Amino acid sequence: MGAPIRLTVPGTLRYRAIAVRTVAEAARLVSASARVDPKDPLANDVRHPFDTAIVSAFMEIFNNVAIHAYQRREGGTIELSITPSDRELVIELRDNGRPFDIDRVEPLPSDLDDDSLPEGGMGIHIAKTMLDEMTYEPGPPNLWRLCKRLSTQPVATGAGRS
Amino acid sequence: MPTPFEVQSTNNETRLIIRGSLDINSAPALAEEIDRITASRPARVVVDLAQLDLIDSSGVAALVKLYKGIRSAGGEISISGARDQPLAIFKLLRMDKVFNL
Repeated sequence: MGAPIRLTVPGTLRYRAIAVRTVAEAARLVSASARVDPKDPLANDVRHPFDTAIVSAFMEIFNNVAIHAYQRREGGTIELSITPSDRELVIELRDNGRPFDIDRVEPLPSDLDDDSLPEGGMGIHIAKTMLDEMTYEPGPPNLWRLCKRLSTQPVATGAGRS
Repeated sequence: MPTPFEVQSTNNETRLIIRGSLDINSAPALAEEIDRITASRPARVVVDLAQLDLIDSSGVAALVKLYKGIRSAGGEISISGARDQPLAIFKLLRMDKVFNL
């Protein structure tokens, strides 16, 4: 495992795209997925199941830190440590905002119909389901650790997940 | 650069095309558009996601709001063209069945 990629961004949604692009590029180092449009280096070509999983999870956790930890206020930072290896990608996010009560996240309704379709509370569920491991330690600093392993299993089909 | 979303209205149908990334930063602007679409009580809405590359839970919430708003007013809504990461998210949330993707 090489040295981690380190990036510190202000903890607001304005800087989200920079962080997401960095994670997408790191994911491609692991999945070795080719760009769909080589002429557009900034295209959002998150297509490989591995890239899909880790980028989807990361977007939700970044949102969570900016909204819940930092309450959409400026002044805080998010320290990212992104460690790609042959078979997995580990991302750590550290913030000095308010701790998040992860145990209070409610599960999604088991049967979805027109009435029970959720309009919120999906972010942590998405992150947790997309990843192989996700841990949160309240701080300061608060620490989210996300891990996705390269697998032949498809993601988000409900099959092959433990 | 194409706009992130576009509304095309005819007598029979309102078509909403969403492009690029529908996320916590772009969803609020779409939510305003969705309020306008819902208020006009269209008989049929088609949401075209073929050019949508990324979505997060805020983007999903905006689409759910549109879906519920149109259906509760007695209109029809179909969501089509989802692929790659957005389709994976709808499947994870088991909304692919509800939206008939």
